[in-house]
This record gives sequence, C-alpha cells and structure tokens, in this order.
Amino acid sequence: MPPIRRSRPGGLSRRQFLNASLGAASGAALSSCGWTLANVQTTVRTDPGVLYIYTWAGYTDDELIDNFYKETGVRVIADVFSSNEEMLAKLQAGAGGAYSVIYPSDYMLQKMVGLGLVQELDRARLIGLDLLFDKFASPIYDPDNIHSLPLSWGTTGLVYNTTVLEPAPEDWDYLWNNRSDLTRRMTLLSDTREVMGASLKSLGYSYNTTNPDEIEQAYEKLLDLKPSIAAFDTDSWRSQILTGDLKVAMCYSADANEIAKQDANIAYTLPSSGSSIWTDTLAIPNTAPNPDAAYAWLNYMLQPEVAARICQRLSFATPNQAAFELLPPDVQENVSLFPPESALDKSENLTPIPTDVEELYDRLWTKLTSV
Amino acid sequence: MAVSSPPPTSPSSSEPRPQARWLGPLALLAPSGLWLLLLLVLPTLVIFQLSLVPNIRPGDVVNPSGLDNYWLAFNSTNLTVIVRSLSLALGTTAVCLLLGFPVAYWIAILAPRSRRNLLLLGFILPLWTSSLLRTYAWITILRPTGVLNTFLGTFGLPPLELLNTSAAVTIGMSYSFLPYMVLILYSSLEKLDTQLLEASADLGAPPLQTFLKITVPQALPGIAAGSLLVFISSLGDFIDPELLGGASSMTAARLIYNQFLGQTQNWGFGSALSTILILAVSIAIALLLKYGDRDAYRS
Amino acid sequence: MLQTASPNTDLAGREAEFDVELRKVFKVFNGETAVRGVEFNIRRGEFFSILGPSGCGKTTTLRLIGGFEMPSAGEVLIRGQSVNQVPAYRRPVNTVFQSYALFDHMNVRDNVGFGLRLKKMAKAEIQHSVDEVLELVKLESLATRFPKQLSGGQRQRVALARALVNRPAVLLLDEPLGALDLKLRKQMQYELTSLHQDLGMTFVMVTHDQEEALSLSDRIAVMNDGRIEQIGSPQEIYDAPKTPFIADFIGDTNLFEGHVEEADESSLLVRSQAGLDLAIERGESGADVADAPRLDRGSAVAVSIRPEKIDLHLYPPETSVNTFEGRLIQAMYLGTHVQFTVELSNGATLTVRQPGSGSERIALGTAVFVSWSPSSALALSR
Repeated sequence: MPPIRRSRPGGLSRRQFLNASLGAASGAALSSCGWTLANVQTTVRTDPGVLYIYTWAGYTDDELIDNFYKETGVRVIADVFSSNEEMLAKLQAGAGGAYSVIYPSDYMLQKMVGLGLVQELDRARLIGLDLLFDKFASPIYDPDNIHSLPLSWGTTGLVYNTTVLEPAPEDWDYLWNNRSDLTRRMTLLSDTREVMGASLKSLGYSYNTTNPDEIEQAYEKLLDLKPSIAAFDTDSWRSQILTGDLKVAMCYSADANEIAKQDANIAYTLPSSGSSIWTDTLAIPNTAPNPDAAYAWLNYMLQPEVAARICQRLSFATPNQAAFELLPPDVQENVSLFPPESALDKSENLTPIPTDVEELYDRLWTKLTSV
Repeated sequence: MAVSSPPPTSPSSSEPRPQARWLGPLALLAPSGLWLLLLLVLPTLVIFQLSLVPNIRPGDVVNPSGLDNYWLAFNSTNLTVIVRSLSLALGTTAVCLLLGFPVAYWIAILAPRSRRNLLLLGFILPLWTSSLLRTYAWITILRPTGVLNTFLGTFGLPPLELLNTSAAVTIGMSYSFLPYMVLILYSSLEKLDTQLLEASADLGAPPLQTFLKITVPQALPGIAAGSLLVFISSLGDFIDPELLGGASSMTAARLIYNQFLGQTQNWGFGSALSTILILAVSIAIALLLKYGDRDAYRS
Repeated sequence: MLQTASPNTDLAGREAEFDVELRKVFKVFNGETAVRGVEFNIRRGEFFSILGPSGCGKTTTLRLIGGFEMPSAGEVLIRGQSVNQVPAYRRPVNTVFQSYALFDHMNVRDNVGFGLRLKKMAKAEIQHSVDEVLELVKLESLATRFPKQLSGGQRQRVALARALVNRPAVLLLDEPLGALDLKLRKQMQYELTSLHQDLGMTFVMVTHDQEEALSLSDRIAVMNDGRIEQIGSPQEIYDAPKTPFIADFIGDTNLFEGHVEEADESSLLVRSQAGLDLAIERGESGADVADAPRLDRGSAVAVSIRPEKIDLHLYPPETSVNTFEGRLIQAMYLGTHVQFTVELSNGATLTVRQPGSGSERIALGTAVFVSWSPSSALALSR
C-alpha cells in the first residue's frame, strides 16, 4: 500500500506563514480554559506502522516518503506549519499529540527545551552522528545535539535581479545608500528579528543584542529606510523579483537558491557585515506516540545518500559532511548554499531573548509597520 | 386448555405530562445550543478572561488582574492600527456597496427573470477559488509591470503605482467580498414591490429621486446586512493587507495574529484586542437590529 | 377646499374641453395586443369608468393615461396636449393603485406629503395641505402611523389622500375598492361619490365590478378583448346594451340566439335556435339601438330579456305573444325579490325575477307560464 501523503511537493517557501490559520489561534485559546495556560499534552495511541511528522512546507516530498516506506514499512504522514510560532502554539495547546517528529528552527528548539516540550535524544539509537560537519557536532543552540539533529542550514541575505540592479549589493548599507533608486522596489522579510537584526548588523551590533538603546537605534535607522520599502514580505517577492518589479529582496538563502535555479539573472548576497545563520532541526516531542518510528526517521535523514538527495532536490544546505561529499561539484561550489567560512565569520545564530526585549521588539515592529 | 394472554399494559396517559412540553424544544435546540455554547460562548469568555491578565503567556496561571491590556490597546501606535483597520473596512464596504448595488439592481429588477440564477452564479463563481490565489492574482495585475500597467501603457497612459498601497488592499478586499454584498442586496431588491416605483413616479419623482427616496430605503435592511457582513469580513481579513498593503499594512487582525502566533506570544494583549473587536462588531450588529430593520417600527 | 390644477389651454388659446383623450390607441406586449384601437374623450369633471372582465385591457388603458406604459400606436392627450413623450412623473395625473402601493418606510403624513415635497413646496404649506386632505379622508388622527399599522380601509384612504393632495387634473383609480370587504366597499363608494362632487375633479376608474361602475359613474366604457364595446351612461349601458357581451356582462339577462324571421318598421320577429318565436318592438327606448347595424330578415341576432322584465303565471295569460310554457325548477329568495328558474318545454332555462317576500310559495315542478312585453326585449346584432 502506498504511503498516504499530506505534504505538498516542494516549491513553497520555507517560512510561508500565510497558511497559518487563525483557527490555530482560537484552538489554542479554547484549550486553555483551565485556570492555567498549561502545556496540556494529549497522548495519542497510534498504529506503530504510521509516523506523524510536523514540518515546514517544502521539506518533504513523495520520493523521500516513498523510500522511507520501502525501507522501514512505516507510512509517514506529514502536516505542515508555516512558522515556528505556529508550531509552538499548536504543541502548547495540546494539539500536537500525534506528532513523533517536529522540525523547530534553532532558536525555537532552545525555547522548546526551556519549556520542556522536547525529549533528550538517545544517542545510542542514532547512527551517523559522526558524519556531521564539526561545527554542527555541538551547535550553540543545542550543545552536543542533546535534543535535536540538525537537518538543514542557511543564511539570511539579499536576493536581486542582475538585469535591473547594478552594481551588485555587498552589504546591508547598500539599501540605505541607494534607497532613492530602490524606492518601492525592495522588500524586507516579514520577520521582526531578522529585519531588526539586519539594521543592528549594519550599525555594528549583534543580532542578539538585549541592549534597548541599540535596538532603538536600529529601529530609527529602519524608519529612515521605511519610505523606500515596498513591503515586509517573506514569500510573494519571488514572482516579482523574476519579473524585475522588485530590484532587491531580503530573503533566506534556501529560497534565493531555489529561485536562482529558474533564472540565471537572480543572485544572492550574504552581506559582508554579517547576518543570521539559521538551522532547522529534527526533534522528538515529549508526547511522541511512536518514538521507534521517530528514531527510524532521524536515522534515515542522517543517511548521507538521503541527505545529499534532499539537499539537491529541496535546495537547502546540509550539515552532513558525508552527504556534502556526495554532492556534485557545482552544488558544492554554490556559495549561496555553502558560503565560505570567512563569509560566515560575522554572522550569528539567532538566540532566544528575554521576554521584555521581545516585547520591545513587538512594540517597535507594530510601530514600524503601522506608521 | 386455552391460555389467556395477560391484559395489554395500559398505554400511557394521552394527556402530555408537564415535562413533555419543554422536552420537544429542548431536543430540537440542544444540539445547536451546545454547539454555540462550546464553540462560541465559552471561547469568547476565555478570551475575555485572558484579556484581563497582563503579559500572560502559555503556561502562566490565568489570574485576572486588571485592564492594563486594554490601556495598551489604546496607545497611539495601536490606535493607529485600529483606525487603519476600521477605515480599510469602511472603504471596502463603501466600494462594495457602490459596485454591488447597480449589479444587484440590474440582476433583480432589469435582467430577464430566466437569466437571474445564471447571472448570480457567475457572481459567486470567484468564491470557489482560494482567497490566497485570488490575492496573488491581484499582485500579478497591480505590480509595476503587471497587467494593469501594461494595459495603461498600450493607451499611452502613465503607469499606476498601486501594489503595496492601501488602495490595493481596498481593491483586493472589495473583490473578495463583493459577491456577498451582491447576494444580499439581490435578495433584498428581489422583494422590492415595483409598484412602489410607479407610485413614486406617479407622484412626480424623476428616476433618480425615486431611486434615492424609495428604492434605497426599501433596500435598507439588505444594504445594512450586506454592509455589516462586508465590514466584519474586511476587519478580520489579514491576507489582503499583508500581501497587497506594503510596508505600512499592520491591521488589527494581523496584530492579534502576531500576539498569538508571533514571537512575543502575548496572549493577554491579543485577547484584549480581540475583545475590543468583538465588542465593536457586536455593537454594530445591535444597532443594526434596533434601527436597520424596518419591521421593527412597523408592527 | 382643494382646487384642481388650473386647466391648460390648447395651442389656439382655447380651454381644452376634454381632460383625457385617447385616439386609436394600441398597446402590444411581446406580440400580444392588449389594447386595440381604443378611443374615448373624458370631459372635465366627469366620473368615467372603464369596465370589463379581467384581461380585457382596462388596466393597461389606465396605465397608458398614467404614463406607466407608452402606446404602441395612437395618441394620448391630457388637457389637449399629447403626452406620448411625457413620462409618468411629468403628467398632471395621479393614481390610486389597486394594492395602494403605500411607502411602508414612511408614516401616513410623509406618504401623503411625498408629491408636494418633490414640488419643493414650503414646509408650512405642505403641512397645511396634508392636514387638509387628511381631514377630507378622515385620517387626521392617524397621521403618524405607518402603513403596516393601518387597516385595509385606512390604507385605501391614505392612497386616496396621497393622490388628491397633488390636485391632479385627473385622478386615476385602479380597482380602488377591490380589496375591501362588502360593507367597507359600500361606504367607500359613497365617499368616492361625495369626494368627486365636492372636488369637481375628473375621475377615471377601472373596475370589473359592474355594480360599482353603474352606481358611481357618469359614463362607462365597457371593454372586451382590448376593444371598447360601448360607451354610455349607466342607464344606456344597462337598458340598451349594444352587444350580447354587454347585455350578459352588465346585470343578468336571458339570451336567445336566433335569426330575424320578419322585420318591419316597428317590430321584429326572431326565431330562436330552439324554435321559439320572439316578438320585439322597435322603438326609441328599447328594441335595437340607433347606430347598430340594420336588422333585416335573416340577420343573426341575440335576443336579451332582463329577468325582472319577465312575468310568471300559474295559468295561461291572455296574450300568446312571447308566452311560453315551462316548469319551475328552482326558487331563490334574495331579500327584496325572488329569483325563479324556469325550464321551458324545449329544454331551455330562463331566469325570472319577481319582487316579493317569498311568502307565496310555488311548489317546484309546478307547470308555469312566462311572458314579456315585446317592448322589453332587445335584439342585438351578432
């Protein structure tokens, strides 16, 4: 019997948030009618032959799921989320009881570890941990990979259409310096931390600063740029950069890479003053009903051949050195996928920030997008 | 020997017992009542309770302690957002009314009776596609080198910079909600007694006066209901503002979304904003029921 | 007191004699002809009725005057001026609609003042006129009510007041009393008559109720199948119908189909299809009508005898002219008179109406004789 698929084939943005329904929000509110907004987790008894995973749109495809079924006899059913926060809300609302594998990003994994939502991995059951690049052997967000397995990584930068933009941008400052040319022809991500981070970096501060003065400065600087910004947009820049309606867009490297496959005039720059490095991980929730199948899936994703295939097919960088070595040279040399270490020096992983700083961010973001 | 069967048990008294009187209505109303209670009343109460807890986050104890979240909702930034949402919704309602009324009037009164259903169907057809898809279509139309500007260019007209403006949001939302307006106005105009229009003309009213003094007032319940539906839908829409509205597109719906599914997860503030919107919409509906319904003062 | 609009004068400066004139008017809807060459003139101040069965085109004719329909051919004149190109809202006429067509989003006062407000009349003046007309129709106390709060008769009065307040040259009434119960209808008939007398306004009423037309009108136009069959005073229409249709439609009558057997200057002998010989006296008041086609030997005719003109006898009467033997098969007591049905020996039935209290009972099945004077019968050309 063929596997049942609920994932959509690749092509959707990694962080396409608009799929998110307000239903998730109202569901979350409803389930919290106890006197605590507790992490009520429902345990769901499932067939050991079925594995529910909760993942990004575009992170699985039929081939991946079919081959796993052939290998293990376990049918994978993939539900997709469009933002880390949506996934968190669903799990916190107790509606994630069916999932045995989830795909949080680095900072979200940290947050979920703090909230006690994910379990420690049993390293004895994992085969191939030693195949990861050294720098992923003990990432900052999860030392020694105790709770997670890195699946993919990338950077945040600028994508542009070489037919309408000259010279090529090299750093964030390019946006400010050329803003009259770029008026209404540039978009930034619809993501508070990333957009504020870009501004912070251009001022020489850290993406993860908790200094309110620095954050206020970054906000003021963005306010200068604001009249030139067409939109804060994570997804719909894609078609417009191809048509040349947009000259430059802030985006994730994986998305840029995918668009670049369609048009040779599309290029990606990792800004020289640094940006964020993100990692998406695999983790097992505390309530996972089918941990055996979850470990099988993790081991499957660790296989160099599998990792190499999905790196090419779904166009995101792999943290798996053995897999990297299996890639054809043109992919290995694609600097937007695998930038040189020197270029990554000034970039940082996003880390969770204290609640009061989060609130400051939220306030400034609301101001930025409403004035 | 013949065995006599026991006498049949006497049937229950034909007179209905007292509880039978409310048993029927209860059986009929219970399922929907339960549904409403569980899925409407309870969540609303939960939202209201959450709104009274400042800075509440998942995992926190719900301990109502004041109106801080409400004061927060009315600071200048959030007020700007609320006002923008209201004006976008009002603008969309006005556009839908202006575009929808002639169409509904034409279908209900002027078009041949046999074609009406087909015409209505044509109007509802766009509703069968995903709203996200329709919004993306508007991007294709409105972008700087899009369909609209190509069209204008062929006539030597200057291009319009519409994408990423409030106008684009109004266009997108009007397109999304126009069918609802047309349907409701149609059902209202269809019931219009055309003899009233003749009576008006008979008393000396030119067509425009007849339209303003008779047709519009007669269609008022439909106008009110359609406007309310479009207004509420626009107020809750965040796809169109997000995709078409550009950099200054923060709306109340999106702000609420951010409080629940964004990084801060400030559910208390989100609940306060939700409560404010629920109240605003409830008041609008209450006013409509009180003043919008002509039957209210007739009987 | 209300004044009608000042009469227009025609191009020659003459005051037009007629308020409404129809000249060879046709109206065709989707290939169906509703009105076929209707012609009439309505004099100033006249109470004119258009009477006919449903579907005869009478309402269409009224709508042609009101301006809700435009003629397919022919001409409509109001006060001597052609109104073929004039839309309803610019015609000096007002209509009382069959269903009243009151504006239910306005109260009585606003309904009545609607036409005056459109004329941009001063507020105080409107108030005064509305009060005056509401008093006229006895609705002063209900001025602030909404139509839905009124009874049928009250709504009828509002509709009347709303039209009258504009002082139209002509008031058009489309089955104005049709929706009222009998008692109310009688009362409103009386009030319509006195309004007409008091105001001196031209009234044009459409009705299918012959009794209403007879009792209210100065003149009646009887329509059938899109055509006018006869125009005349109620008496003329009743006593001297021009066609068998009218004789049958107005009041009750007994009709005998037949042909003229003998004709001379003063009398006719008609042989009915059933073989009865009917004598008819030609004269000025009865018999055939002056402008009807000449009746000669062999002409196909219908002979009409009103039930009240027939005498009923238990014994053979002295005369044998128009006397027939039959059998009483039904008797109905109708208050002021008794209506008998008599079956003649050839099988035909005849309705006979006799004044009386019904105390003189005649047993059903009794052999009776019927007779009438030759001057009571009418021969109508077929």
